[in-house]
Formats: sequence, structure tokens, C-alpha cells
Amino acid sequence: MPKTEIRVGGLGGQGVILCGHIIGKAASIYDNKHATLIQSFGPEARGSACSAQVTLDEEPIGYPYVKRPDVLIVMSPDAYFQFAPSLKPGGVLLYESELVTLDERLPEGVVAYGIPATRLAEELGRRLVLNIVMVGFFVGVTGLVSPEAAERAVVHSVPKGTEQLNQRAFRKGYEFGLKLTGKGNGGPRHDA
Amino acid sequence: MMLEGYPKPITLRDGTTLVVRPVEAKDGEALLAFYRALPEEDRLFLRDDVTSQAWADRFIGSIDYEKVIPLLAEAGGEVVANGTLYRTLHGWTTHVAEIRLAVARSFQRRGLGTALLRELVGVAISLGVEKMIANVVDNQVGAIRAFEKRGFHREAVLKGHVKDIHGLKRDLVIMSNDVSHIWDAMAAMVADYSPTLGG
Repeated sequence: MPKTEIRVGGLGGQGVILCGHIIGKAASIYDNKHATLIQSFGPEARGSACSAQVTLDEEPIGYPYVKRPDVLIVMSPDAYFQFAPSLKPGGVLLYESELVTLDERLPEGVVAYGIPATRLAEELGRRLVLNIVMVGFFVGVTGLVSPEAAERAVVHSVPKGTEQLNQRAFRKGYEFGLKLTGKGNGGPRHDA
Repeated sequence: MMLEGYPKPITLRDGTTLVVRPVEAKDGEALLAFYRALPEEDRLFLRDDVTSQAWADRFIGSIDYEKVIPLLAEAGGEVVANGTLYRTLHGWTTHVAEIRLAVARSFQRRGLGTALLRELVGVAISLGVEKMIANVVDNQVGAIRAFEKRGFHREAVLKGHVKDIHGLKRDLVIMSNDVSHIWDAMAAMVADYSPTLGG
């Protein structure tokens, strides 16, 4: 795996930082790669913009800041507006399809995959786990970390008692991602 | 909805191994045989006449793992316990689930009730339930102990609310287990709050 830069963006309360944290943890602790995480917050927690910058590499990482991400995960319109233009041409966009509408600001060659993560999380019983649905979706679409590593990272990162629901959320997103990219049973379908 | 992880083997403290799994449509007769074998004293506090075919048909017909999640424990091909989680999907108590539990006399005081309860509590939490309740009669000491082991406490007592087999009025204890702190912890974790930036 070449050095891969990822940015996760959304609103406070959507679990943006935890999403980035789990991706990095899965890669570094359970897949034996290297990862860094930079997090930034708005002036208030809930409802304000926040983002996480995650870098994954086979080698030690000397510079952790993400300027032109290879993969952008957005969970809110504001995050899309702010970060989509910085996505590397030919990069991958993963977005909350019932909150974000794609437009012409996407750089050339970007492949976009949408998932109704909030609705799926609500169907599982808790809107709180939308970020874990996104983690699963990220793993299913990109394959940048192994599903086993990611699921272990989920289970070891969430509060005790919530592991089962979070596991179900991860699998829901993962299977959705596999299906959308044609790795599952649904055949390829790019909805950019 | 599929219940994951079942059938699941469980071992009681005396070494007896049983299987816990969701009740399926084919279990009507076995369930009826289980309830018919319960002593009348144990059946009296149940809400329905669980010895009737009509009840069995209704219960099996009502199985919908979104709302009614029944588990049973089997030993040697026989049902020896039944525990059910009841949810409300609309209205003001969607965060609450009720647990009902019945254990065969020969398996009481052997840890089966506690084990089955552990499964039901796990299922409830995995469905996002914040609070569980159970109704127990004050002299059902074993049941009260089993619920207490799984985090329940006595929340309310309805005096003289039920009559036992001898016509003696007894108190109904409403036990509850509030697990909302689990979800509060999850909410705090996804708040995207910076420990270094304010408040």
C-alpha cells in the first residue's frame, strides 16, 4: 500500500474523530502498518465543523498533515463544500448520500460512493453509530485496511456494552460498500 | 432482523450444557409442553394462560424479531426455559423493553435464569434499548436474585397487586435496569469534543 492520505469531515456529534481514529488504529495496531491522526474542531463541539486527517503507510510517516487527500469521507454538506475541492484528482469520495449532494466542485476523475449512513444507523437502533457505518463503508469500498482489523478496532474503541451494535453497524456499512463496488453480490455501480 | 450468534451453547455451573436460540415457528408444540409442565404456582403469575393451544398459536404468530424477541433454552431436545424481550416501536416508551422469563423447576437455582437473562440483556442493548423492566412477585426470590445479578434493581412495588395460588395477595415488584449510561458514553465519544479546546 503506498502512502495514503485520508480526510474525514462532518459535524460535531457525528463521530468524525472516532471514525478517523478507528481507521488509523485498524491500520497501525491490527494490520501492522503505520498511521497518524490529526484532529481539528470548530469553536464548539456539537453541531460545528470538525475533521480528522489520517495518513496510512507501510513505512514510518514523517509528515502527518493532509493537504490533498486520496480519500475523502464526508458526513455533512459543509464538510463536502469545504474539503471536496482539495481531493486529489482521481481520488475517492465517500459521502453520506442523504445529506450531501454532489456538484461540479469535485476534481476530475474522482470516483464517488454514497451511503445513507444516518438512516442505516437509525434502522440499527441508534443514530449514534453512523460513523461506524462509515468506517465499514470505507473498508468495503477502499480495502485500505482489512475488515478483520477494522472490526477489531471498532470493538476495542467503543464503550463497553455497545460492541454488538457497533459491530452490526460496521458490517452494515462494509457490506453496503462491497455491494456498491461490485465486490459483493450487487455488481458495480458508481453513483457520482 | 436476524439474531446473530445463535444457537449458542451455554454451560451451567454444575456442568450441564444447554443450547440457547431464538424461538421459531416450529417450536409451538415444544413450548406448549414446557409451559404445561410448569407447576401451577409458577404459571399463575404469567399474564396469559400459557397452557392453551390458542396461546401457543398466538405467541408463535406474534414473533417479529423487531418487536418480540423470544429465546429458549433446550436440554436433551426439550425446552427448559423461555425468556422474551418485548419492545415498543412507537410512542413514548420506545427506549424501554420488558423482559419475561420462565424456567423449568428442575433447572431453577442452577444459573439458567441468570444465563438466559444475560442473553436477553445483551440483545436489548444491541438493539439500542436504554432501559429494561421486569415484573416479579415479591416471593420469587430466585428470580429477583437473577435480575439483580444482571444489573436490575427494585424500582417500584405495587402493594397487594397479585394473588397467589392460595388467594393470598402479594406485592408485585417492578425491577428495572437503566443502561442509558452506555449510550451516554457512546454519545460522549462521538461528540467530537476537543479536550484541549474549551469547556
